[in-house]
Amino acid sequence: MALFSSIRQWLTDRFGLGPIHDAALDRRVAKTPWYYGDGATLFMLLMIQLGTGAFMSLTYTPSPDGAFESVRYLTERQALGWFVRGLHYWSAGLMVVMVFFHMFRVILVGGYKFPREGTWLIGVMLFFGVLTMGFTGYVLRWDERAVYAVKVVLHMFAKVPLIGEWLVALVQGGRELGSLTLTRFYGVHVIFVPLLLLGLAGYHLYLVMLHGVTSPDERKQPVYTPDEQRELYHAQAESEEKGETFYPTTMAHSALFAMVVLGAGLLLTLMLGAPMPERGANLTRISMPREEWWYWWYSGMVAIVPGFAVPALIVLLPIVSLFVLVSLPFIDRGPYRGMRKRPVFVGLAVVTIGLLLFLTERRIESPWTGWPSDVVPPMPPDVSLTPELERGRELYVEYGCNSCHAVAGVGREVGPDLARIDSRLSLKELREYVGEPPEDVPMPAYRQRMTAQELELVAGFVLAVQAGAGENQ
Amino acid sequence: MKRRDLMKLIVQGMGAVTAGAVGIPALIFGVAPAFEKKQARWRPVGPLDGFPPGSLRMATVALPREDWAETPAEKGVFVWRPNEEDVIVYSRSCTDLGCPVHFDEGSDWFFCPCHGGIFDKEGAPVAGPPRVPLYRYAWRLREGILEIDLSSIPPMA
Repeated sequence: MALFSSIRQWLTDRFGLGPIHDAALDRRVAKTPWYYGDGATLFMLLMIQLGTGAFMSLTYTPSPDGAFESVRYLTERQALGWFVRGLHYWSAGLMVVMVFFHMFRVILVGGYKFPREGTWLIGVMLFFGVLTMGFTGYVLRWDERAVYAVKVVLHMFAKVPLIGEWLVALVQGGRELGSLTLTRFYGVHVIFVPLLLLGLAGYHLYLVMLHGVTSPDERKQPVYTPDEQRELYHAQAESEEKGETFYPTTMAHSALFAMVVLGAGLLLTLMLGAPMPERGANLTRISMPREEWWYWWYSGMVAIVPGFAVPALIVLLPIVSLFVLVSLPFIDRGPYRGMRKRPVFVGLAVVTIGLLLFLTERRIESPWTGWPSDVVPPMPPDVSLTPELERGRELYVEYGCNSCHAVAGVGREVGPDLARIDSRLSLKELREYVGEPPEDVPMPAYRQRMTAQELELVAGFVLAVQAGAGENQ
Repeated sequence: MKRRDLMKLIVQGMGAVTAGAVGIPALIFGVAPAFEKKQARWRPVGPLDGFPPGSLRMATVALPREDWAETPAEKGVFVWRPNEEDVIVYSRSCTDLGCPVHFDEGSDWFFCPCHGGIFDKEGAPVAGPPRVPLYRYAWRLREGILEIDLSSIPPMA
């Protein structure tokens, strides 16, 4: 034992571990609630991403000819590839979720208030860094979803006034989507942003060590100056009941939160594995691309906002969010950190969280998407199917009415559900309507394409469905 | 100026010079592809006879190749020949955010799979976020072969 003890002493001395231990680990901090473990959780996720990512780079081939197949190979053939890539994928999603959680949590407890403005501003950069990683990562898969994700981002850049087209060429690496596009995303995802994230995360943690985190007493009483804050924090940290030692007590509590999130990541990986799309990148197939689930809110927003406002929204949202986040500590300067005393900022955070969830739900439904369909609409149970109605129903599918209209809840929801629509047109009126819809209704005119008899049959079918629905109510 | 202050200035200056000497060339190197000159790039779509009057169908066009990689090798476009004389070649990119539109033969309209963009056969936006009509390629005929200029639409489309 004496030998171990002397080796330990030697290491501590020669590698200078004593000062690190005293400054970083063996220090008194204020006790904080369980949800303050979100920061440690994010750090753990960052480490998972660095580890799994570094090892995947040993197989991944950043060339458009090989990228997709190399991802397929490492997922399906290489030992435990499904696990390593699966954990990388699910941790990426969890990291985006956690970075939002962490940010809103800090806003709710007034964590950006003096003397922690610097910690917050570094955090804002980390927030945008994580969002960038969450996007550039799935481009590297170089599947269909990836190329269209790139196209979407390029179209977003294209909407920037004056320099839009130049930005497109800069990100795309030229005038056409190609090899340089992939290598640029590779460089950004694997070198540029990870280095930045690692450096900034280290600095963020240094500032957390220096200034501490918002303690319970700071939230209970007004604090007017940074000096007063330091005194209050110090008193808690040193006290027997309100303070604790960072290592191991605080770390154990934070680790609990982190373990729950790690558990979620592992569970998702074991249950669902690493998603492997069928088809590699191509610009020729009929495709229904979708962003990854952690960006559904963004897609929902683009679809819901009126079309004329979309370009401005796309350009302004990142700029305005950055501006708002950076200015928060300079606007919300009052002495109170408790939520009841800061209704405006707390309200803003809660509304934003609600919006993100609402938009995500909308994207899952995507009621705005019209698409060719083979779905044959149902007939009401008590309507007998005459040859005319059967033919009307066939024409309904043949002419793509079902690309937009549901019948009794079956089918797409772009136009009104024809069994549930309120207006009751006569056969003649309906025929006219389908033949030549009013100017302001986004529906194709069928007069040129359907014969008078076909119009009659389709209109007859729709009326039968409506009558049937009416009787059933 | 004190000797000590001068030393500080020199140290800072050396740092700035080093950063500039390495950083500026690296930056120029990084942004160079964005300054690629715009020039016409005509590519064949196929014999015009393959697109009978009245038809609207998808066709593929070979993309220019880099020296070191070949994919994506081709790109889908829509060729519509409303009558004997006219040809319209649409890009598949939705003009809102670039998702690939799909032509629905039943309704004769184009549907975007992402945010509800819908275009009529003429390419005009009729629903959803798009405000701009579908992009049309410049086209020409060379010995019966339909050719389009890839540079005639925006670079991301």
